[in-house]
Amino acid sequence: MNLLSLDSVSRVYQTRRGMFGRPIPVRAVDHISLSVAPGRTLGIVGESGCGKSTTGRVALGIERPSEGAVRFEGAEMPGPGTPEWRRMRARLQLVPQDPLGAMDRRLTIATQVEEPLAIHAIGDKSDRRDRVQALLRDVGLRADLAERHPHELSGGQRQRAVLARALATDPALLVCDEPVSALDVSIQAQVINMLTDLQAARGIAMLFISHDLKVVRQVSHEVAVMYLGRIVEQGDPEAIFADPLHPYSRALVSAIPVPGPRRIERVVLTGDPPNPADRPSGCAFHPRCPVAVAACAVTSPPLSPTPDGRLVACHLVGGTA
Amino acid sequence: MLRFFALRLGRALLTIALVVTFAFIVLRLSGDPALMIMSPDAPPEALAAFREAWGLDQPIWLQYLKYFTAILQGELGQSMRDGRPAIQLVAERIPATLTLTLPALALKVGLGVPAGIYAALHRNSMTDRVVMTFAVAGFTVPSFVLGLILVLIFAVQLGWLPSGGQEGWRNVILPVIAMGLGGAGVLARFTRSAMLEVLGQPYIRTASAKGVPWGAVVRGHALPNAAIPTVTIIGFMVGSLMAGAVIVESVFSWPGVGRLIVVAVANRDLAVVQCVLLLVSATMVTSNLIVDVMYGVLDPRLRSQAPAGGGGH
Amino acid sequence: MSGETLPSASSIAPPRRRAAVPVGVLMAMTWLVLILAIALLADVIRPYGITAMDLRARLQPPIGFGGAWAHPLGTDELGRDVFSRLIESIRVSLLIAFGATIIAAVFGTTMGFLAAHFRGWVEQVVLMLIDFQASMPFLILALSVLAFFGNSLPLFICLMGLYGWERHARISRGLAIAANAQGYAASVRQLGAGPMRIYLGHVLPNIASTLIVAATLSFPEVVLLESGLSFLGLGVQPPMTSLGNMVGYGREYITRAPWIMLCPSIVIVLTTLSVSILGDWLRDRLDPTLT
Repeated sequence: MNLLSLDSVSRVYQTRRGMFGRPIPVRAVDHISLSVAPGRTLGIVGESGCGKSTTGRVALGIERPSEGAVRFEGAEMPGPGTPEWRRMRARLQLVPQDPLGAMDRRLTIATQVEEPLAIHAIGDKSDRRDRVQALLRDVGLRADLAERHPHELSGGQRQRAVLARALATDPALLVCDEPVSALDVSIQAQVINMLTDLQAARGIAMLFISHDLKVVRQVSHEVAVMYLGRIVEQGDPEAIFADPLHPYSRALVSAIPVPGPRRIERVVLTGDPPNPADRPSGCAFHPRCPVAVAACAVTSPPLSPTPDGRLVACHLVGGTA
Repeated sequence: MLRFFALRLGRALLTIALVVTFAFIVLRLSGDPALMIMSPDAPPEALAAFREAWGLDQPIWLQYLKYFTAILQGELGQSMRDGRPAIQLVAERIPATLTLTLPALALKVGLGVPAGIYAALHRNSMTDRVVMTFAVAGFTVPSFVLGLILVLIFAVQLGWLPSGGQEGWRNVILPVIAMGLGGAGVLARFTRSAMLEVLGQPYIRTASAKGVPWGAVVRGHALPNAAIPTVTIIGFMVGSLMAGAVIVESVFSWPGVGRLIVVAVANRDLAVVQCVLLLVSATMVTSNLIVDVMYGVLDPRLRSQAPAGGGGH
Repeated sequence: MSGETLPSASSIAPPRRRAAVPVGVLMAMTWLVLILAIALLADVIRPYGITAMDLRARLQPPIGFGGAWAHPLGTDELGRDVFSRLIESIRVSLLIAFGATIIAAVFGTTMGFLAAHFRGWVEQVVLMLIDFQASMPFLILALSVLAFFGNSLPLFICLMGLYGWERHARISRGLAIAANAQGYAASVRQLGAGPMRIYLGHVLPNIASTLIVAATLSFPEVVLLESGLSFLGLGVQPPMTSLGNMVGYGREYITRAPWIMLCPSIVIVLTTLSVSILGDWLRDRLDPTLT
């Protein structure tokens, strides 16, 4: 059974041009369905503005979906701020992109790692202290850092501290929103290795959101490529990496620098970067697509299965065109 | 654009409605007006007659509705002291108040704005420090202390000017100074900081780096941009033309609106107090509205952006 | 690479010193400490009772103007000691100003947090009240309330406590919304914390310095307001006395005994000036964005 499932979820924002302009509905997330099984990692990849962070927030229950349903451990996600919602926070946690902003800079690392235990009334005072020490050890932070304040730590150490806080209540699911994109490449590798180790040891499921296909490939059991609020390709990361079917995935994969001769020809995207407030007709990618045909501007291709078990939304794949 | 003005007008009317509601709530919370106005040992028939005359025996929402419509029709009740219509009593006092507040406003603007601009252009000079010292003093010396010190020096010690009363132009000088000097200080301080902020902007540096003479930069770029926030404060001062004289009028026994409300409060003459309250809030709201509209005309950005919240930044 | 040049560069630069507290601020602090001590110790240092009359020593001038040590600041027309009355007035005025500032800060911050937490119509109502408060001359509102309700000290303090709440409300709402949208408050909420823990445990301590500066800026305004109303005879009522009350009372004797009115006036001006200087200095150090 799935731990988390999103069933045809959309998130629509009302924005207006200027103060008195007419409100324009913007579909940040448009009919997305996905699921995460216990202990598995689903990676979501796409450029900024494609709705991947919104998907993460909806999955966490911080935002209500405008359409569709989010289910966690078989039950419908309660409304944000309700007591059930608050209790549920112990089971699913966020690892944010900016750990410094996500921590209270007046409090020590130990206090902040302890906070979820205090909130959910887990253990007594000395019990909690032991757990905090164990958590810091698990994420590879020295014990003497416990009494430091966030600004006294390095970027990688802060990310580990935030991770320790997220793990404190032993959650079943972590939503990692660009957890390593602010870090140096060498530190990135360390944090990612630690994440996968912790996942293996604790059996946590992850929704791993990143713009970096390379990083997503390292951690994910399954990958969804998003473009303008929709999934355009979903499947096994190795398959997508070796043979991207959707033109957009092909562009992403070809942008990764590889040693030696390229197996895939470099695809350089042209045209305007996508704007969710001004979605093109038909397939949203068609203005930038190097292989677009007439039908692409008219009808939106559905997400359809391919023979090797992937899902792709393109008229030119799988004979829908 | 039209929508902007309509929204502002709506907000102004809402504020007035709030003031009326405030007056109504306070009036009803303060106890039985019949008992308060008539003596507690008045005969019960008289109390009943009073309640009926004021509609106090009706349900509260009806009273509120009646109260509202009466005020819309300009019926603000009679003074409980001499029985004359409150609105008439107040109207009689307006010219006297304006005789003080208009010259005081001129003093504030005429002294404060140039001093602020000069101080900003000669930042950290001796003059800047002197102006700022006066500005701080203008804010921290209450107008009644300043007024009494002026009386002490110019009326008691030197005998040059009268200490109170309303005989001629000589009586106006001290109250106007007592009222205007503090405001001039506030305005100077504000103008100075508005100017300094504008002078620090990149476009000013660009203009002067391009070789535009400094005087032209100041006149062409700095002053117009610094004027926008300064106009707000001046608008606020215009709005307080009626309310700003309460204390100074009392110091100099000047028979204006301010003196009227102080006496009315002391006597608990509710109709008069309420009338002054409405007059003051109407003035205030109108001038805020005018400032808002001027803002919309002066600063096109504001038409498309969110408004800056309240007025008292 | 630059690691080797940096130490030498910093050794050339003058050693960093802690910015000294300006003389003006020191003087302001000294005055405020003195005033606070007087207010706290009023009963001990006051040589006479505030209503004790000495009919043989009426309208005595202060020392230096022909007065005697028995009444260092002279006496009024009933022979009451101006020094003793001044001490009592300082206590009453400071009590009102502190009480009112604290009420305004608590009330305003609560309203700001409510607006930030509930958004929607709650926020609209709070914003409307803020606008209303900011656009009305407070003196007139206060006068109306006093006219309708009469006067008593607790009511008067509460009334003064309505002054300046909108400044705190605006600040706390803005900062709480910012903290809720991203950052520590959002992440604590995400951990499952309830509103009390979020606002009192995290947001409030983080914005406290800004709120303290705001309170320092409205404190002198409350002192001026209180003394103005008391001067008009509509604030603190006899037999109690406050600074404004003394000025209003001493005004009757301005020709014969100006010291009755000058002594409290000087205290008012020095106190408001000191708090303003301190507030400006705190603001520059802690939160320059505040107006």
